[in-house]
Amino acid sequence: MGLNDGPIQDQHRPQPVDAHGLSVHQGLPGQIQPATLEEGNLFSGQPGFLTTRLDAVVNWARRNSVWPMPFGTACCAIEMMASAATRYDLARFGMERMSFSPRQADLLICAGRVSYKMAPVLKKIWEQMPSPKWSISMGACASSGGVFDVYSMVQGIDTIIPVDVYVPGCPPRPEGLIYGILLIHEKIKQSAPTSEDEWNAVDMLPETGSYLPRDVVDRITLPFGNSTNQNRSSGLVSTGAVVRVSDRSP
Amino acid sequence: MSNDGFKKGLDALDQGPAPSDAPADGAPPQAGGLPPHPTVDALREQFGPGVLRHELVAGDEHIVYVPAERILEIMGWLRDQQGYDFLQDLTAIDYGGGRMIQVVYQLWSIQRKTNVRVKCELPLDGLEIDSVYFLWRAADWMEREVYDMFGVVFRGHPDLRRILMPYNYAEGHPLRKDFPLRGRFSRAEQTRRALSMKTEDHYSPGELETAHMLGQSVPDPFNQAETADQGGQFGGMGGAG
Amino acid sequence: MALRRVVYNVTRNPELSAGGSLVHAPIVPVQGEAREVHEDFSGEHMLINIGPQHPATHGVLRLVLELDGETVIRCIPHIGYLHSSFEKLGEYRDWNQIVPLTDRMDYLAPLIYNCAYAMAVEKMMGITVTERCKVVRVILMELDRIFSHLLWLGTTGIDLGAFTVFLYTFQQREKIYDLHEDLTGARITTSSTRIGGMMADLPAGWIEKLEQFMTGFLPVLDEVDTLLTNNAIWIGRTQNVGGISGEDAVNFGLSGPNLRASGVPYDVRKDRPYYDYETYDFDVPVGEHGDIYDRYLCRMEEMRQSIRILRQAIDRLPGGPINIDDPRVILPPKTAAMNDMESMIHHFKVVMEGVRAPVGESWFSVESSKGELGMYVVSDGGSKPVRWRVRGPSFINIAALPHMIEGTLLSDVIAVNASLDIVLGEIDR
Repeated sequence: MGLNDGPIQDQHRPQPVDAHGLSVHQGLPGQIQPATLEEGNLFSGQPGFLTTRLDAVVNWARRNSVWPMPFGTACCAIEMMASAATRYDLARFGMERMSFSPRQADLLICAGRVSYKMAPVLKKIWEQMPSPKWSISMGACASSGGVFDVYSMVQGIDTIIPVDVYVPGCPPRPEGLIYGILLIHEKIKQSAPTSEDEWNAVDMLPETGSYLPRDVVDRITLPFGNSTNQNRSSGLVSTGAVVRVSDRSP
Repeated sequence: MSNDGFKKGLDALDQGPAPSDAPADGAPPQAGGLPPHPTVDALREQFGPGVLRHELVAGDEHIVYVPAERILEIMGWLRDQQGYDFLQDLTAIDYGGGRMIQVVYQLWSIQRKTNVRVKCELPLDGLEIDSVYFLWRAADWMEREVYDMFGVVFRGHPDLRRILMPYNYAEGHPLRKDFPLRGRFSRAEQTRRALSMKTEDHYSPGELETAHMLGQSVPDPFNQAETADQGGQFGGMGGAG
Repeated sequence: MALRRVVYNVTRNPELSAGGSLVHAPIVPVQGEAREVHEDFSGEHMLINIGPQHPATHGVLRLVLELDGETVIRCIPHIGYLHSSFEKLGEYRDWNQIVPLTDRMDYLAPLIYNCAYAMAVEKMMGITVTERCKVVRVILMELDRIFSHLLWLGTTGIDLGAFTVFLYTFQQREKIYDLHEDLTGARITTSSTRIGGMMADLPAGWIEKLEQFMTGFLPVLDEVDTLLTNNAIWIGRTQNVGGISGEDAVNFGLSGPNLRASGVPYDVRKDRPYYDYETYDFDVPVGEHGDIYDRYLCRMEEMRQSIRILRQAIDRLPGGPINIDDPRVILPPKTAAMNDMESMIHHFKVVMEGVRAPVGESWFSVESSKGELGMYVVSDGGSKPVRWRVRGPSFINIAALPHMIEGTLLSDVIAVNASLDIVLGEIDR
């Protein structure tokens, strides 16, 4: 929101390549290149008066009937269920039809921690969702690994699938999830469906199996501060009886 | 005040380590120094030197150390003669630093309402012990978990394979003290391994053999299109979530 | 068509490389446990896969079924899709820092886990908490038992097609969420106990709100009872389905309503009472047939008995401090810590070094809503555990699932799975 001047850079666009033919990741701030689109007539692929009116209608239809795919794994799934229940009703947004088949879903809500064993499932489900699709990473564990900076947890599902909105919290209150959903509605409102070329899937790099290169994955999954070296931080008193291996940095 | 014992414990911590009362030659402590427990006494009577040590912790929890070679007969005797029909827990402790790994069995007798904890110590180069699968079926998954997390092999278990980690997990046994918290590989490598799992990696060897004998290929667990016609009955819950 | 009998089983321990990865797993015939499959040339068995992402498996559980038409011949559950290594993480956290981890294991009854963990560490250290703390913890544990059974009722209803029950139970759960939030600040991840006491005492008006909830809850429970208990569809789908005998249940290590529905009257609150449970007047429902319907009846009655215990606990709630008095364990009150040097130093030490527990260990269990929840804590004299093991009841309960569903129909698999009341957080830990 407000980081670039042109239309919102969409992660589903084809990734530009550099001189070596490797795709250049464009997901991080500072690297965004706004697209330049010129006015044109209808069917030329450029936005014009009629196409923007059509865009508005299409976006209105899309955002008022988003069908979520609840990918609930842990505690956040309970809050997602609570937001679909009577007090924080999701039906007022047209979202009560939780589709458990990804083929009929628009919005993947990843609610809960994702382990490396579950990661291929998540990726497969994302791939099975037809475009247009959006994703919400609900909760701290899905956004960054949360409290679980351990050997078996994915440190943020954005290392595996592209994420549109992150909802912080552990678990986020249903109001928080609904705010995230409203941000998705805003994003849909500002998209330009009739002016885009194709909805391409993001590249899958063989070095990681996901759309991010190896060094980016390692950098965004670094631990925060001293969180994993606690055998030193509160080791002002150490009995020395049992030594825990101090943390290995990647 | 009932908190006296606890305050003495914390005072002892503040004072620091004190010389031990145990004999210097490593002989086990004398029997009978602790409050009696009917099972421990019966075990001593039945197995004699099979009871290596008897400890009392946390006020009323009795622990018996037994040698690993005799675990099956001792456990069988406990279940059949002493009525310990409920295996509450089966786990292991790694103290690190090359020390022995303790396999811990927590037993409860529903009829007699008594607990006992049995421990076996295994050296790191000999992490094998007999399985109690055929005594208590509860040991099935608990032993698989100890194998997965510590690398202890349970002889005689019909299906000893990893349970919590993926079947082709190559970083080792996580709950060992020499295993770092974040794993041995970098995050990018862990991601690559996770995302490059083939269909066969998701199945146990038994299922692969079953499929082979049935003349089928195993269903791709994550390809909904393949199982859509079979799974259609659960696919949508009437749109009601 | 001749029936050919095939006996096959994976019996040898798989051969593993030094790193633990699978190298070879041969099939050899075995004495003892072997599964017979009658292979009939006119029919064909089929392997299907349910999950791990599935609306009805209550989390990321994967079941591989070998079907003969609609009948389940074999079931192999696969778990580990939510393995968050709580136990390893606990070895790097202080005793009090583990309390937030316990919420996230059984997120349907977090206060039971908080209390069970604190009770295990207090037993290991030899701490006896104050009388008020005991009664407050009993209140919180029974409240969360109701909380968890309500969710079980709602999701089992949904799995078997009764959607209204889900809405009713979630509405009641919202009221318990409000109670959680008033007490601890969070709806689900409460983290309200500390070693030696609680994070905070009950706020003013909390008991009144609890009583209001209790008054409003029983009519709703009666209404759900009316909807389900004598309902022909419900009875048809749950009676004589997924049964397990008493001896098998004990041998499989089942606990909680799953065990009691099979006729075994084992309840930790009655057999190894803690926190004066022997002085409370309550009954424990025990079933007969071990099928889904008996488990349903047991859980419904347990909710009513929990209300009974809650009433008694509220009546006997004493005044007095909620935390014990030892500054080496419990944080001093903030006013003291800000005003006098000694309290400030105690505060510093407890926060920075953590509570230090003398060498020892303890295996302690409570009756959680899912079954017998055991916590095994081992200390080496420091502020972090050497080992923290959680005996999650659902882990053991789900291992008995194949035994319960072999021979039943495919549609019963979902019903039996729902009736076991599993939560994947404590299965996979």
